Amino acid sequence: MDNNKKIRNIIQALGEHKDSQAAIDLLTEIGTNSPDDEIRELTAQTLIRKNTHESLRVVLISKGKGINDLSARVAMASINELLSLKDKSEAIKILEDTIKLHSEEDVRNTARSVRALMTFS
Amino acid sequence: MQIGKISLHTNKTAERAAEKNIEKTNNLTTNPFGVSFKGNVIQADVFESAKKSISNTGIAQKTKLYASAVVSGINNFNEAFKSRMNSVVSFGRKITKNVFDSIERIGNTEISFDMDAIKNTLFPNRQYSVKQLTNKSVDELKQMWQELTPAIA
Repeated sequence: MDNNKKIRNIIQALGEHKDSQAAIDLLTEIGTNSPDDEIRELTAQTLIRKNTHESLRVVLISKGKGINDLSARVAMASINELLSLKDKSEAIKILEDTIKLHSEEDVRNTARSVRALMTFS
Repeated sequence: MQIGKISLHTNKTAERAAEKNIEKTNNLTTNPFGVSFKGNVIQADVFESAKKSISNTGIAQKTKLYASAVVSGINNFNEAFKSRMNSVVSFGRKITKNVFDSIERIGNTEISFDMDAIKNTLFPNRQYSVKQLTNKSVDELKQMWQELTPAIA
């Protein structure tokens, strides 16, 4: 088993971990800042699957993370994961708040695009 | 008259008894000086007895000496054999006691195997299975992740 596979398993375990808040903190601290695109992608997907206010805020609002990631691969994977959520209410609420309140224009534009996709999906 | 005979007979019997006692005493006083022959303490009365006898010649005396030495040698052998047997028996008892103690100790010892640790040693990747990782604390996962991260960078 190579190290990437081990890390993927750790991320997956954090997604299923009973200590949800600590798992989100760890994913935010290490996973979203990883130099490896694959790790960032998997981290973003895991955070979105958790579908909590704290986990969604990281991938929707933070610059350079989740849907705002510089890597198109990571951003597209995050958007796909958001679209596949059964309950999108929390994500849409955060996106609307971001469109209204966020200081960064790039972040606001991305949030607007994603909200539009989610509304029509 | 009869009374006198009886008293005479009684006197003779007493004399014979006294003689026998002296003889007995002489036979019992063996080797008062602890003289040894061929390394064995002579126990028989090889000395000139108080009562002289015809058979107490040189050849008879020598035979008696050898016989005494042989008897004494047998006695010594018996003693040595007994002492060796005692040591063998005590050794056996000690071994038996040790064996029983060991069995008792084994009986009282709780043997437990950390199967998870054994499995992790045999299958090092097993600890990175999602099921195993989910049971670990977040701090442990953080540490594991950080250990793996420099290898990627």
